[in-house]
Formats: sequence, C-alpha cells, structure tokens
Amino acid sequence: MERRKFLSMTLGALALAAVPVSVRAEDYRKLKPTAWTAKTVDDAIKALYGSTATIEKGVTVTAPDVAANGGAVPINVKSNIDAKSVAIFQDANPEAAVIVFDINEYSIINYDIKIKMKASGTISCVVEGKDGKLYVGKKTLDVALGGCEG
Amino acid sequence: MKVKAKLKKDVIKVKALIKHDMITYDQAKKKFGDREKSNFVMHVTAKIGDAVIYDASTSQFLSKNPILKFQAKGDKFKKGDKLTMNWVDRSGATKEKTVKLK
Repeated sequence: MERRKFLSMTLGALALAAVPVSVRAEDYRKLKPTAWTAKTVDDAIKALYGSTATIEKGVTVTAPDVAANGGAVPINVKSNIDAKSVAIFQDANPEAAVIVFDINEYSIINYDIKIKMKASGTISCVVEGKDGKLYVGKKTLDVALGGCEG
Repeated sequence: MKVKAKLKKDVIKVKALIKHDMITYDQAKKKFGDREKSNFVMHVTAKIGDAVIYDASTSQFLSKNPILKFQAKGDKFKKGDKLTMNWVDRSGATKEKTVKLK
C-alpha cells in the first residue's frame, strides 16, 4: 500500500473513533450511526457498546412462540437491572437493530413494542447496566408469514 | 397518534399508537425502486414538563402503525399533569400529542 494512502486511512479511522463521545446520550441514531446499518447482532452490539461480552442474566424477553404475522410481532422486555440503556436486536431482517431506549431516573424497564420480522429468528435484548456490563435476554420464535416485504 | 396515559399507585402506564407506514429499505426498493425512499419513525420521546420519561431511537423494523407501551415512575407526578409525546421520522416530519394523566 502506498504510504500516502495508508496515512490518510489511519487518520480517517482515528477521526471515526473519536466521534461518538457526546454529552447527551439520547439520540442513538446520531450518536452511533453504524449500529443501525450493522448486519448481524454481534456487529450491532459492538457498534453500540464497543464490546460483545454479554452476560445472559436478568433480562426477560416475552414473545409468542409462533408469530402468525411477521408484520407485527408483539414483544415485551422486562428487567430490574439498574441500567443506562436498553437495546433490542433481531437476526431475521437485513439489519439487526430495532430500537434503543435511553434509561433515566423515571424509567421502568417494561417495554412493549411491535416489530417486523422477515423470517424466524432470535430476538436479543441487551441491557447496559450502570456497572458497565452488558446483560442479555433472548427469545427464539417462528414466524409463519414474513412481514418485511410488505 | 393516539396516546393514553394512566397514573396508578405511583406508576404511569402509557399506551401510544403511532400512525405511520414505516417503509423499510426493502419495501421502498420494491415499491419505488429506490431504497432511499424509505421512511420510518426514528425517534420517539415522551415528556412530562421537563422530565423525559421515554426516549427511544427506533429503526425501520417497528411494525406498521406501531403500538408502544411503557411504564414510568410516577411518584413525582399527579393526575392531570400533561404528558407530551412526539416522534420524528426519516423525512423530518414530526408529530406531537399532549394528553393529561388519568
């Protein structure tokens, strides 16, 4: 590789790495743009939290075992962990990230949402604890009719 | 957008229905031949006064006309307080709704 190219690439990588430090940890779309285009759950978790070391404990994901309509799969996540944020991912759709909640002093982690799933897959809910650890809950379900194509 | 908010035993329970087509990249490609024509809600917030009780960054994989249910600690609020919910989508459109806690 040419030296000039190599240098500019290194600089670019450094600039990218320096960006995601923000005072207001709220708009995760602006804060962590790469998390929303990541194709796999692991990549998305890494883009969002910088690590994939998760502990499978303390997070409950509830969803039907068989979803009749993949266009609207009702899911519920619950946790008692003292958290900073909660993120939901799935591995059936082209991109992994579904939603990221910002947690503050008023929040109770008990969220109901409806999501689209193209095919059968696993929903992962990651809770970022205040202790810096990532807790994860998973639920695998069958989707009878995929709902991503409309 | 429809919003219902209830305060009971210091817990606020909110149910919200967002009317939005939530067009994914795949659907946009199929329908318009251009994946950049996708449009979906990107950010939803709910506030009571200055207190943010719900803050979610969302992707295209919420269902069409998504229903969001959530709870929040309500010991600092009382019935009749105003809850304002709003969303922003990819095209920049935004909608706001204010309801009273019941």
